[in-house]
Amino acid sequence: MKNEKAAIRSWTRLQSRLGRHAARSVVGSGLLSSLAGIGQAWCVAVVLGHALVAWRVGGQESIFPAWPFLVFPALAIVRALCMIKADMAAAQAGIIARRRLRGEVMTSILAGGPALLRRTHSGALASIVVDRIEALDGFFGRWVPASVLWIVAPLAILVPVGIAQPRAALILGICGIVVPFGQAVFGIGAAVASRNQFLAMTRLQSRFLDRIKGIATIVLAGRTEDETRRLGAAAEELRLRTMKVLRVAFLSSASIDCAMVAAFILLAVLDGRQALAMQANGQLEGLQPMVVASLFALLAVPEFFAPLRGLALAYQDRAHAQGAATAILDLPDVIERPVLEGARTVNANGVMVAFDDVGFTWDPARGPALEHVSFTVPAGETLVMAGASGAGKSTIMELLLGFITPQTGRVLFNGAPLESIVPDALSRVVSWIGQKPVLFAGSLRDNILFAKPDANEAELANALRSAAVDEFLPSLPDGLDTQIGEGGFGLSGGQAQRIAIARAYLKNAPVLLLDEPTAHLDPATEKSVFESLQRLAVGRTVILATHSAAAHMFKGRRIDLQNGRIVSRQGAA
Amino acid sequence: MITQDHAAQKPTTAQAITGTPHHAAGLTDWQAICVIFGLWRRQAMRLFVGALLALAALACGLALMQASGLRLAGCVLGELVVTTALLRWVGVGRVTLRYAERLFAHDAMFRALADLRVWFFHSLAHGAAAGLGFRRAGDMLSRLVSDIGTLDGLYLRIVVPLVCAGLTFPALLVIIGRQSLALGLCVGLLFACAAFLVPWLIARSGQKAADQAAHLLAHLRISVLDLVGGLREIRAFGAEGRMLARVQAADAALLQGQMALARRAAFANALAFLFGQMAIFLVLLAVGGVMLPKLHALEGVSILFLSVAAFESAVTLTRAGLQAGIMGASASRVVEMAVQPAAAHAQTAQKDAPEDTHIRLDNVHFRWAEDRAWVLKGLTLDIPAGSRVAILGPSGVGKSSLAALLLRAATPQTGQILLGGEDITTLRADSVRTKMAWLSQATHLFDDTIRANLLLGRPDATEDELWKALDEAAVSEVVRNLPEGLDTWLGEGGIRLSGGQGRRIALARTLLAPAPILILDEPATGLDAQTEQEFLRTLNAVTEGRTVILIAHRLTGVEKLDRIWRLSDGLAKAAAA
Repeated sequence: MKNEKAAIRSWTRLQSRLGRHAARSVVGSGLLSSLAGIGQAWCVAVVLGHALVAWRVGGQESIFPAWPFLVFPALAIVRALCMIKADMAAAQAGIIARRRLRGEVMTSILAGGPALLRRTHSGALASIVVDRIEALDGFFGRWVPASVLWIVAPLAILVPVGIAQPRAALILGICGIVVPFGQAVFGIGAAVASRNQFLAMTRLQSRFLDRIKGIATIVLAGRTEDETRRLGAAAEELRLRTMKVLRVAFLSSASIDCAMVAAFILLAVLDGRQALAMQANGQLEGLQPMVVASLFALLAVPEFFAPLRGLALAYQDRAHAQGAATAILDLPDVIERPVLEGARTVNANGVMVAFDDVGFTWDPARGPALEHVSFTVPAGETLVMAGASGAGKSTIMELLLGFITPQTGRVLFNGAPLESIVPDALSRVVSWIGQKPVLFAGSLRDNILFAKPDANEAELANALRSAAVDEFLPSLPDGLDTQIGEGGFGLSGGQAQRIAIARAYLKNAPVLLLDEPTAHLDPATEKSVFESLQRLAVGRTVILATHSAAAHMFKGRRIDLQNGRIVSRQGAA
Repeated sequence: MITQDHAAQKPTTAQAITGTPHHAAGLTDWQAICVIFGLWRRQAMRLFVGALLALAALACGLALMQASGLRLAGCVLGELVVTTALLRWVGVGRVTLRYAERLFAHDAMFRALADLRVWFFHSLAHGAAAGLGFRRAGDMLSRLVSDIGTLDGLYLRIVVPLVCAGLTFPALLVIIGRQSLALGLCVGLLFACAAFLVPWLIARSGQKAADQAAHLLAHLRISVLDLVGGLREIRAFGAEGRMLARVQAADAALLQGQMALARRAAFANALAFLFGQMAIFLVLLAVGGVMLPKLHALEGVSILFLSVAAFESAVTLTRAGLQAGIMGASASRVVEMAVQPAAAHAQTAQKDAPEDTHIRLDNVHFRWAEDRAWVLKGLTLDIPAGSRVAILGPSGVGKSSLAALLLRAATPQTGQILLGGEDITTLRADSVRTKMAWLSQATHLFDDTIRANLLLGRPDATEDELWKALDEAAVSEVVRNLPEGLDTWLGEGGIRLSGGQGRRIALARTLLAPAPILILDEPATGLDAQTEQEFLRTLNAVTEGRTVILIAHRLTGVEKLDRIWRLSDGLAKAAAA
C-alpha cells in the first residue's frame, strides 16, 4: 500500500516534470497578463483618486492626467493577446501529453497481450486508454502551469503593491499565505475521495459494456427491470462518490474565497480609517497619493487571488492524475524481451514443433492446466489433439502462440526454446485459427487483408478462392466492401471462419494452429471448412485441437488429453 | 416550475444549438435537449433551488466588490457610506452562499444524470431484443458514459450562468442608467455582447466542430476496443504496429479537432474580455467627464467596481457557448439512440400470452432487412404443447431467425405466428418471453459470478435448484471442482472457463427458467461425442412436460423426438421421426 502510494506520487511527479516544459509559455503569458492587469489597476486608481480628491477639495474643474486613458486600453489589448496565447498553449500542452501517454499505455497493453484480458475487462482497459487519459488534459493544461503560477504571479503582484502601500502588501501576503494551508488540508481528502470515485466510474463502465453486449439475453430472460435497477444503483454510487470528492474540493475554494473577502474588508476598513484621520488632521495634500494607493490595492485583490483560484480549480485535475496513475501503473511494464545473442529466427521452410515435459498452471487454487506434456510434430506433419472441453487444449495453443510461457519444461521450434526466438520471427511462422475469429470494425476486405496489408489483388483473390469466401461473397450487400459490425454481425459462424482461413492463406506461415475451428458449425459446413483447412495444411506443420469426429480427415499423429495430461497417443506422437 | 424557468432562458441557447439539423433521425439537437429537460422533471425542485442559490451568491459577490470600493471612497469624502457590519455580512454571505450553491447544484445535477443513465439503458432494452447488430457496444458505452457526463454542463455551465447573466443585465442597466442614461446603455450593450452575443456566435460556429469532436472520441474508443478485444488476433498476426497506428490515427484526429475547438474558444474568450475592458474604459471616461456626462465621484467608484465584478461573471458564458454545441451533439446522440428503436418496435399489443402453448407458424415470410435476402419463404409449422421437435439444417438457413420470430425479437413481413391460437403480435412481448427460454449461439455470459449468471434465468431459484440445473447441463462437476464453486467469478464472456463449459453454464441457466417452451440452439456444442449422448439422454428426462424445440445441424439418434423438420430454402420439410 505504502509502496503503491509512493509509486503514484513519483508517477505524478514525473508527469508534471515532463509537462512543465510545454507549460512554460502558459506560465509566461499568465504572468505577463497578471502584470498588465496590475498596470490597469494603477490607471483606474489614478483616475478615481483624482476624481475623488478633486470633488473633496472643492469640486472645481481639475485637469485629469491623460496617460491613464491611453495606457489602460493598450494594456487591455496586451492582456487579451496574452490570454489567447495562454489558452492555446495550455491546449497544446494537454495534447502533447495525452498523445505521449496514450502511446505508452497502448504499447504496454500490446506487450501484456491476450493474458491481460484474463485479469482485466476489456472495457476497463479501453476506459484507461480513452477516458482516464482524456481526463488528464486538465492536469497538463491547467494544473501544471497553475502550480507554478500560483506562487510566481501573487509574488510579482506583491512588489508593486508593496511599493505603493506596504501595509496593503502585508495584508495581501498574510491572507495569501493562509491559502496553501487550506489547499493542503482539503487537497489530501479530495485526492483520497477521487481515487474511489474513479473506481466507481470504471465499475459503472465495465458493467454497462457487459450488459449492453448481453442486452438481448437480459431482455429475453425478462430481466430488464432488474438490471435497470442495478445500473441505477451503480449510477447512484457514482453520484455519492463524486459528491464526496466535490464536498472537499469546494471547501478548498471556499477557503480562498474567505481569504479574499478578508483582504477586501481589511483594506477597505483600514484605509477608510486612515483617510478619515488624514482629513481630521487637515493633511489634504497627502490625501491624493494615499487614496490612489488604497484604490490600487483594492483593485489588485482579485488579480492577486486569481492564480490561487486557478490552482484550486485545477486541484481536481491533479486528483484525476493520481486516479489515472493507479490504473496505468497496474498495467504490465513494457519489458524488452531479452534479445540476447541466443535470440534467433526460425527457418521458414519447415518447422518442427515439440513439447518437452511442459507444465502450466493458470491458478494454483484450481490445479495445473497441463502436466508433463511431451510430443513432437515433424515439419509438414499434422498432430490432432483430442479431449473434452477444459482438458488443456487451449492452454497448449496459448503456449505455442507465445502468449504464455511454460512454468516447467520447454516448447521447442526446430529445437530452439520458444523464449529464445525473436517475437517477430515467431509471429511470422505461426498462423492461428480459433473458435470464433475476431472481426474488426471495417470492411470485409480490411478484415482479410489484416493478415497481410500489402497483399496484391492476385494474392487476395487466391486466398478468397482457397478459403471458399468467394462462395458467399455474392450474397453480401456490398461484396468485399460490406461493413462488418462488432462481433461480425451479418456473417454466420461458417462465413466468419472462412475469413479466418483466408487470413491464414494470405499469411502463408509454415506452422498452422487450429483451435477447435469448427466448434460452432453444422456437419455440412464443418466438412467443407475442414476441406479448406486440409488444402491449407498441405506442406505445413499443423496442430489441430478438436473433438469433432470429422477430424479423421486429417491424417497424422494424435494425442488424447484429459485433465492436462496425455492419456493416449496414436502415430509417432 | 423549473421548466418555465428554462423556457424563459431558452431562446439564446435554442438558437445557439439548433443550427443545422445533422442527424438522419430527424431529431434536432434542440429537440433532443428538450427531451433531456423533460427527463429531469423529477429533479426540478432541486435544480431550481440550485439556480436560486447561484443567483444569491452572485448578488453577494457584486455587492462585496461595490461595497468595499464605496466604503473607501466614502471615507475620502468624509462620510461613512457603508458600515463595517454591512461589509462583513456581505462577505460572509458571499463565502457561504457560494459553497452551498456549488454543492447543491452539483448534487442536483448528478441525481439528474443518474436518472438519465437509467432511462437510456431502459429504453435501449426495449428495442434491443435482437441484439445490438450494427450498433457497436463501444460506441454505446461512449454514449452512456461520456455523452451523459457531458450533459452535466447543460445545467451547471449553461442554464445557471445564463439565469445569472439574465438578471445581472437589467440590474446593471437600472443601477448605472439612474446616474447616466448614456453610460448605462453603453455598458448594458457591452454586457449583452459579452454575455449573450459572443457565446451565441461561438455556439453557432462551433456546432459542427463540437459534433465532430464527439464522433472522433467515439471513433477512438471503438478503435481502442477493437485493439483490446482483438489482442489474440493481433499477436498471432504480428499486427501490433498496424493496430497501434490505427489507434494513433484516431487519436491524432481527435486531438486535432480539440485543438481547433480550443483555438476558437481562446479567441472568443479574449473577445468577451475586451468587451468588459471597453465597459470599464467607458466608466473611466465618464468619471473624467471625457465625451460622457461627468459622474459624481462616489457614484463613479461604485459603478466601476460593480462593472468589474459583473463582467468577470459574464466571461464564464463564453465557455458555455462553446459547450452548447458539444452538449447539443451529446444530447441528440443519447436521445436518438434511445428513442429510435423504441419507435420502430412500437406495438399496441396489450394481451397476456395464453396458457396454451401450442405454436403454429402460418406461411411466414421473413428477412432481416430490405437489402437482405429472404430467410423464410412461406414457412408453416405446427408444434403442439409438450411436444419435442427438432429443426435441422446447415448454418444460415434461418434456424436462428425462426427463434427470433418466436421470441418476438423480430416480426415476419407476412404470415402469422400463433401461440395458443393467438397471433403473437397481439401479445405483450415480455409475456411471450416468459413462456419461452432460449439458448442461442450468442447467449451472453455476464462478467459476474456463476450464481448470478444462473439466477438470471430464475431469480428465486434455491441452491438445490441451481445445482440440479448444473447437473442437467452436465457441468456440475466442473463447478464443484472450482474452489469458489457457485461464487466463482466468470470474467468477461465467461473467459475463466473453457468455451464448452461456459456454454453449458448458459444451458443450465436456460433449463432453470420456468418457461413451458425451451428453444435450444445447438445445446451440445463443446461436448465430446460420448458426453453429448449422455447429455441428450438427460435432456430427454429433464424436459418432460415442456415443449422442446431443438435446433441442430444433425441428430445423434438418442434424442426422443415427436417430429423432425429439415429447413432448406426458406421452407420446412418433414423428416422421419
